[in-house]
Amino acid sequence: MSTARAGLLDRHRGLVALCARESDRVLKLWSQTIVAPVLASFLFIVVFGLSLGGRIRGIGGVDYEVFIVPGLIAMAMAQAAYANNSSSVFQARSDRYINDVLSAPMRPWEVNLGLAFGGVVRALAIGVALLALAVPVTGVPVREPLVLFVATVSLLVLFASLGVVVGVYAETWDQHGFVNNIVILPLSFLGGVFYSVELLPSPWHEVSHVNPIFFLINAMRYGFLGTSDVPIGLALGVTAALALACVAWSAAMFRSGRRLKA
Amino acid sequence: MPDALSIRGLTKRYDDGRGDGRWFRLRRRGEPGTTGFLAVRDFDLEIEAGSFFGLLGPNGAGKTTIISAVCNLIRVTAGEIAIFGEPHDALAARRIVGLAEQDVNLDRFLDVEETLLYHGGYFGMSRAEARRRAGEMMDVFDLRAKAGVRAPKLSGGMRRRLLLARALMHEPRLVILDEPTAGVDFELRLELWRYIRRLHDQGTTILLTTHYLEEADELCEEIALIRDGRLIARDTADGLRNLYGADSLADAYVRAMGSLS
Repeated sequence: MSTARAGLLDRHRGLVALCARESDRVLKLWSQTIVAPVLASFLFIVVFGLSLGGRIRGIGGVDYEVFIVPGLIAMAMAQAAYANNSSSVFQARSDRYINDVLSAPMRPWEVNLGLAFGGVVRALAIGVALLALAVPVTGVPVREPLVLFVATVSLLVLFASLGVVVGVYAETWDQHGFVNNIVILPLSFLGGVFYSVELLPSPWHEVSHVNPIFFLINAMRYGFLGTSDVPIGLALGVTAALALACVAWSAAMFRSGRRLKA
Repeated sequence: MPDALSIRGLTKRYDDGRGDGRWFRLRRRGEPGTTGFLAVRDFDLEIEAGSFFGLLGPNGAGKTTIISAVCNLIRVTAGEIAIFGEPHDALAARRIVGLAEQDVNLDRFLDVEETLLYHGGYFGMSRAEARRRAGEMMDVFDLRAKAGVRAPKLSGGMRRRLLLARALMHEPRLVILDEPTAGVDFELRLELWRYIRRLHDQGTTILLTTHYLEEADELCEEIALIRDGRLIARDTADGLRNLYGADSLADAYVRAMGSLS
């Protein structure tokens, strides 16, 4: 290890330890945090794509089982990044072991980043596992790797930060589940995971453009298939802007201590 | 040498309109800091380096609020806190404070050894240093046989030991023990007393809160009595007995608290 890197790690040992703890939690609960969501999404690919897909004609010249893969991967990763962080932070607050971190000599941004890290690890593990399963089964390509990279980073930042924010705000488990079940999941389904919004009649076609997850799914789909319902610049721009807004919210919360500390 | 702890004009008002713990609520009208429950008001305290100091008071007197303020676990409404001359929120100050909270707040996903190792990491210890110290702490607190057991599966006494081991893991110069022997059996209490005394003999400053007055009498060089977030007396145990004309610290305590009701 270079001296500069060792020095950097020494200066941020608290952050490194918190990242390790959050990753450790994900790996200890692997059957629940990784295997279950991978299996659920893979079943969608098998059931909707391979079984029913044969009866659905391709969308935009792409086979249906290939068309749904990017959206399903995006949805699984978004839910994982969010749910992991909101539950981890909420549990730490509820049991009050977050005090061990809050009293430690760590900067607010280090605590914020450390708490967000678990969701990133979990979402990436799910994304890589799903890709590894989907490529041989459906033959989904990766036509625009750079776009896929930017879209994935934006997705991770957006939903990992949102999870931390909700974990800090939530007072009950219901509230932590509310955002996932009532906001993220329906918006993902309505954002074009299973269809192209180009096929929707007016006004549903226009209404879909108000859904922020629609842009995220299209950015991911462009990365994989090279096609999108909206210009890729707009899709990436909206996703990145949302990610920045969530990071700013989360950072402000940690800087002020508001909601985290009485 | 600066005081181990210096608190000046500490005021803490909960639910003061700057984040009131509710889900989706519009900001309430009114000046921040003028509404809500006033837990501590204009509180001053200095604790000399190397001393063993007791903070006594009934439930709701403000002891835990003061400790939480020192350890950056709450946002103070007003006042200044310094630890060995450093502002309490500075990284250098945080590094030298160890806290064992009243409630057992152990990470449910970690076993005994991991609890200590991660805590060491949070407080800036290298992996090797943390490993050495964790081993030492497990030996001192007789936790070695439970190294791989997760916190929720430990007995009450073991959890209390682990809480104390965690607080001491990073070798703090100021150790804050918030009712460390609450709910532990007599044998373990004596054992913890022995360890805390040894720690103090080595030069560590100790701030102890307890409801066991004989514990304060036995261990503390100086005691502060607080009620309703205010300091009402501060002296040695003998000094407090003399001040209130009492035979025991318990009598002095009852008289001190009664004098305000």
